[in-house]
Amino acid sequence: MNTEAGRQAKFNQLAQSYGTDLYRYAMWICGDDALAKDLVQETYLRAWKALDKLKDSGAAKSWLITILRREYARTFERKVPKFTDVDTVVVPEDSELEPEDRTEIKLLRQGILKLAPKYREPLLMQVVMGYSCQEISEELGVSKSAVMTQLFRAREQLKAKLQKDGVTGNVHELF
Amino acid sequence: MSMNFSEFKKRIGAEPLSKDPELLRARESSPEYEKAAIDAEHFEAKLRDPIRGILKYGEARALAAGVLVAVGAAGLTWKMNTGWDSVEEYLVDHYRHDGVKLVSIADESAEQNVQALLAEFNVQAAPELAEIVGVIKYCPTPDGKGVHMVLNTQSGPVTVIYMPETRVTDKKLLAFDGMEAILVELRSGSAAIIGAGTQKVSNYYAVIQESIFPSPGSS
Repeated sequence: MNTEAGRQAKFNQLAQSYGTDLYRYAMWICGDDALAKDLVQETYLRAWKALDKLKDSGAAKSWLITILRREYARTFERKVPKFTDVDTVVVPEDSELEPEDRTEIKLLRQGILKLAPKYREPLLMQVVMGYSCQEISEELGVSKSAVMTQLFRAREQLKAKLQKDGVTGNVHELF
Repeated sequence: MSMNFSEFKKRIGAEPLSKDPELLRARESSPEYEKAAIDAEHFEAKLRDPIRGILKYGEARALAAGVLVAVGAAGLTWKMNTGWDSVEEYLVDHYRHDGVKLVSIADESAEQNVQALLAEFNVQAAPELAEIVGVIKYCPTPDGKGVHMVLNTQSGPVTVIYMPETRVTDKKLLAFDGMEAILVELRSGSAAIIGAGTQKVSNYYAVIQESIFPSPGSS
């Protein structure tokens, strides 16, 4: 049986290990800073309540993402969130970046937000949470080959956006 | 047998950083495959910055700390409760739940979180108010989500609960457990100010009414 202090320590570890990535993930799926923070808070609240069910600390990341995704689905059931520009919450760009690089980053951010959820979610799980295709497959309940197709198409759409919107240079070498 | 180029491009496009031995062998099998893999890696480097550069590390820590405050304060049973018969019953129940606990930890400035949380309700706090907020977190209200703040005032900690959708009887005074509360109708939503009986929370009525107001451009 966990002591209360042990429980708190276990929870602190979860919050510190995954807080950043959970927020990033939430921000990219909902596009709204306040809602993303609320989703993370609700995720942790539910995690706290169910903490004793988490037996394998190695499964914590997957467990938290599952909670967050369910909470997001519930949010959509209740209301349609208002969306804001992701650029309002991003870290200011390195001032040494070339203007072309800044344009590229902006285009990519816009492109990610415009991806259909079936492409955006697996991409975020992979890039933000570090999931393998197998883990994404298990989380989304689709086949691994379907996940690989979604990931491939997500990147192809983003490359196409960069090309269509006229970013030149190295990006052209990708095609 | 090596995989064909089309299959290789799809797999490397799906997992550009994969260390799968089959992919690595295919990559080394010809310059064409190698170039495709390098291109995929270059694009991945471009992609990761925009996605992961969305949050400063310190902000994430602050967020996690705020959550710890919220869940550490008490369990969730109360949080899920929506069965209050009146604002007054809600306030007493709310304060007994975590009011004292939050007051006890309101020793650091939470100023940077104040405007962000209030903005969700299309209101903002005057700077003079924001800078004395020691703890702020979301909380339930009789009509949905609200904000629970503890102010570090000269007379000691004073709790303010902002209720964006709740109508109250303006200036109504309550007393419970040695505490005193006053209800405030705001230009947008309402608030309750709660403090020790000796603090005369009615003294804070005017400043709270003036200091929480609609954000510019909100209706």
